[in-house]
Amino acid sequence: MIFWLIAIAVTAIACVALFYAAGPRVVNAAAPESVAANSHFRLVLAGIDADVAAGKLGESEAEAARGELAREILRHKADADKAKPAAELGRMPLLVGLFAISALSFGLYGYLGRPDMPSAPLAERADVAVQSIDLDSAIASIEKALAAKPDDLRGWTVIAPAYLEMGRYADAANAYRKAIELGGATPDLQTSLAEALLFDSRETGSPEAMDLLRAASASDPTHVRSRLYLAAELTRQGDYPAAIAAWTDVLALSKGDETWLPAAQQGLAVAQNNGVPPAGNGVPTSGAEAEMIGQMVSGLAARLDAQGGSIAEWTQLVRAYLVLGDKDKAQAAFDSAVAAYPQAFDRGDLDTLALGAGLTIKGATP
Amino acid sequence: MAGADQQVSIELGHFALILAFAIASAAAVGGYLFWRSGQRIAMVLSQAAILQFVLVLVAFLALIQAFVTSDFSLLLAVNNSHSLKPLIYKISGVWGNHEGSMVLWISILVTFGAMVAAFGRRLPNDLLTLVLATQSLLTAAFAGFTIFTSNPFLRISPAPLEGNDLNPVLQDIGLAIHPPLLYAGYVGFSICFSFAIAALISGRIDQAWARWVRPWTMLSWVFLTLGIAMGSYWAYYELGWGGWWFWDPVENASFMPWLSGTALLHSALVMEKRNALKIWTVFLSIITFSLSLLGTFMVRSGILTSVHTFASDPTRGLVILTLLALVIGGAFFLFAMRASSLRQGGLFAPVSREGALILNNLFLATAVGAVLVGTLYPLLLDALVGTSISVGAPFFNLTFGALMAPLLLVLPFGPMLAWKRADIVAAAQRLMGAAALTLFVTILISALGGVSISLAPLGLLLGFWVAFGAIAELVDRSKLGRIPLGESLRRLVGLPRTAWSTAIAHFGLGVTVLGIVATTSWQTELVTTLNPGESAELSGYTVAFDSFGKQAGPNYMADEASFTITAPGGSTRQTMADRRVYVANGMPTTEAAIETYGFSQLYLQLGEPLDDTHVVRIWYKPYVTLIWLGALLMALAGVVSLTDRRVRVGAPRRAAKLAAGVAP
Repeated sequence: MIFWLIAIAVTAIACVALFYAAGPRVVNAAAPESVAANSHFRLVLAGIDADVAAGKLGESEAEAARGELAREILRHKADADKAKPAAELGRMPLLVGLFAISALSFGLYGYLGRPDMPSAPLAERADVAVQSIDLDSAIASIEKALAAKPDDLRGWTVIAPAYLEMGRYADAANAYRKAIELGGATPDLQTSLAEALLFDSRETGSPEAMDLLRAASASDPTHVRSRLYLAAELTRQGDYPAAIAAWTDVLALSKGDETWLPAAQQGLAVAQNNGVPPAGNGVPTSGAEAEMIGQMVSGLAARLDAQGGSIAEWTQLVRAYLVLGDKDKAQAAFDSAVAAYPQAFDRGDLDTLALGAGLTIKGATP
Repeated sequence: MAGADQQVSIELGHFALILAFAIASAAAVGGYLFWRSGQRIAMVLSQAAILQFVLVLVAFLALIQAFVTSDFSLLLAVNNSHSLKPLIYKISGVWGNHEGSMVLWISILVTFGAMVAAFGRRLPNDLLTLVLATQSLLTAAFAGFTIFTSNPFLRISPAPLEGNDLNPVLQDIGLAIHPPLLYAGYVGFSICFSFAIAALISGRIDQAWARWVRPWTMLSWVFLTLGIAMGSYWAYYELGWGGWWFWDPVENASFMPWLSGTALLHSALVMEKRNALKIWTVFLSIITFSLSLLGTFMVRSGILTSVHTFASDPTRGLVILTLLALVIGGAFFLFAMRASSLRQGGLFAPVSREGALILNNLFLATAVGAVLVGTLYPLLLDALVGTSISVGAPFFNLTFGALMAPLLLVLPFGPMLAWKRADIVAAAQRLMGAAALTLFVTILISALGGVSISLAPLGLLLGFWVAFGAIAELVDRSKLGRIPLGESLRRLVGLPRTAWSTAIAHFGLGVTVLGIVATTSWQTELVTTLNPGESAELSGYTVAFDSFGKQAGPNYMADEASFTITAPGGSTRQTMADRRVYVANGMPTTEAAIETYGFSQLYLQLGEPLDDTHVVRIWYKPYVTLIWLGALLMALAGVVSLTDRRVRVGAPRRAAKLAAGVAP
């Protein structure tokens, strides 16, 4: 709004200034032409006299120069007389012009401008200010409020995840404890408290956390988060039978599209394999995906066997078998690659990959 | 008040630019329609010119305000500024880019327009109206171009938190000064152009007209001279390879208007004094401003690849080309139609001051032609045939040198010749002293310097000849040695400022020529690897590499090398050379260490870092500063000429008084 007011005021001032420039109030400020011309001619004449005085111009030359000046003055007078004074500028064209100026300005600005956008100097910008308030000072202010009013449930539930985020696990656990104390236990709060305790205890584990997780999963038969933590913690502690049961338990809750599903399947596989990640490094060993991978690999193998291929393709095949855990096929593919590229130089990284994975080179020039 | 208008300053600036565009358009149309209508239209156009100036100034200040406060809701500030940038570069960043530099261009255009309006109240009404209408037409054309194709007031929402910084090469004090000076020169010639157009339309051109045109030409020429010298010195110390002129197309773009502006200056002089060379003067006025526009086009269109082309956009180029064709084409059409109606003035013999000035004009015009061909031919060939060729320094040095040598040779004769009809033998006699001195000094220097057979002595000869010839004129006019010393000094002081101006300008040209010859002939260069503690020697100067370290600047990281230079005389100086990497865009620049000894300079540059050592380039550039000192002298000469009584006289009353005083 303020912008439009100023814009209208500026335009109005400009138009008034232009209008009054042509107005009758302006007294004849410009000297008549003849005055300017006369002053010029007088100056030239004085220049000639000065030159004569300084001895730069002979008397005859000066006479010629004066004669030429006189002719120039006559020509000028004739010109000035010939020029017939045209009609003065009327008021109408002026008003049309002023209207055109205003219309053009506002029309063009309306099309191009952003009157809705105020200036935004960096120092005064709110978004910069928000960004520069750091987490520390935010937490400090909440802490101060909580110190004054320790039974503020909302304060504790807000500050707890912030502590967790910052790695202040003991403080997080304390905050969750307060929240449970004030608002009663829920499976979520119990799990979060257990999470904080587990992070805090690291390697040693926390019996209290296990109890909390068990309590949470017991109180809600469909609570996934507590069951996942439980199963993972059991796996970490090496209690594989219990872990297998826990993983099976949580997998039973799956509908098939959860984001935690691959992690849980992997966890189960690890537990079943006595804590060692099974060969395949997370590559699915069963199901449609595994089948697809298998098809791609066997397709590549068939093509390379039949037509041969680049060393990059052979490397890809060997790596695929190794990832799938099929060492025999990897060795066979490596042998074929060595046969196709007998020079070690040509094989590049393939040897490093193969020998690193425990394969052997047979029948090749070193 | 401050709080309220700061919040809308950018949009107000945008509105002000648009309003200025509207007023300029209306003023151009009204001026051409009603130019015969006498005083009222002249007053309206004067008012319009002053309003344009105020409004464009508001727009320009709004941009500066946005840059200074790091307002990143302005797209231009996002692209060309950074909150960490030092204040001076925040401000200069406004015109360190295409859009902002167009606003600067328009600001200068309207400043000159307002100056005509303010000081031109005594011009004949029709002439004033036509001049201001033409000036308004130019403002409307360039403001329209800016608003529609390169609007500096585009906003961005949400506003980014930080800008992209400015090209580090351009982040220099030189940038703060070089473009405004150069633009003031370019754009100042628009006044001469407008006067020429007004003369052609009205069919009236006389000595009073020339008396008006000459100071504007002089003022623009002074700015352009300073701008070119500044740009040359900036390239010399900032680009880091110590060259001072590259015949880069953009340099040529500023040099061509200078050459034709120089011709215009001399031509306007003849017209003012003798009412001759009218068509030459009008023609050169048009040519000079056209070349200024061509320079703008070449820099702005992106057809050139050089440091100057910080914005390249083919659409803009096309629009500028169209503008250029309309303005220049229109002007020449008008010239062709109307030039014959301009009455020729005073007659003169071939050997006369007028004749010498025509010769000067011919040489300068031919030089413009040579530079123009060398600059445009590769571009045209590339555009039409698709073959890419490069016209390098050898072409320019050869053609330009070949044209300048005879000009320099005859230059000292010019001021010695009388108007109308002169005696060449008498003039030659008056130059005997200067000729003898020139020969003596050249032979002395060549002998002392042990110069091999080369063009250097010839160059020296020309340089000294022009410089001594300029002094000879003063000596001659003051009758030094022929009359008592006191009398002669009195005459010297009493000489018209224009005589001093001529002598200073020609002396400056000689100084520049000497600097060029000395530097190109006797420059020495050393490229070596140095480690801290080691030293190198060049032309008697010992450069010791003291230490190397890393240093953080406000918005860059620098590798800093400090050196101690021991001059042949034994004096030592500490100096520092940098390689900087700017934080925002990772671009490296070098800051050379330059030490001045007398008129000569030692130029040190820290090269690419190697594994465990540093490449250091050292140049010894004898008398290199003379190049720019000569240019400064030429600019000073222009200022002296501007203070001459013929310019100072404004009011008839004062003129009458002076005329009375001058009479014996």
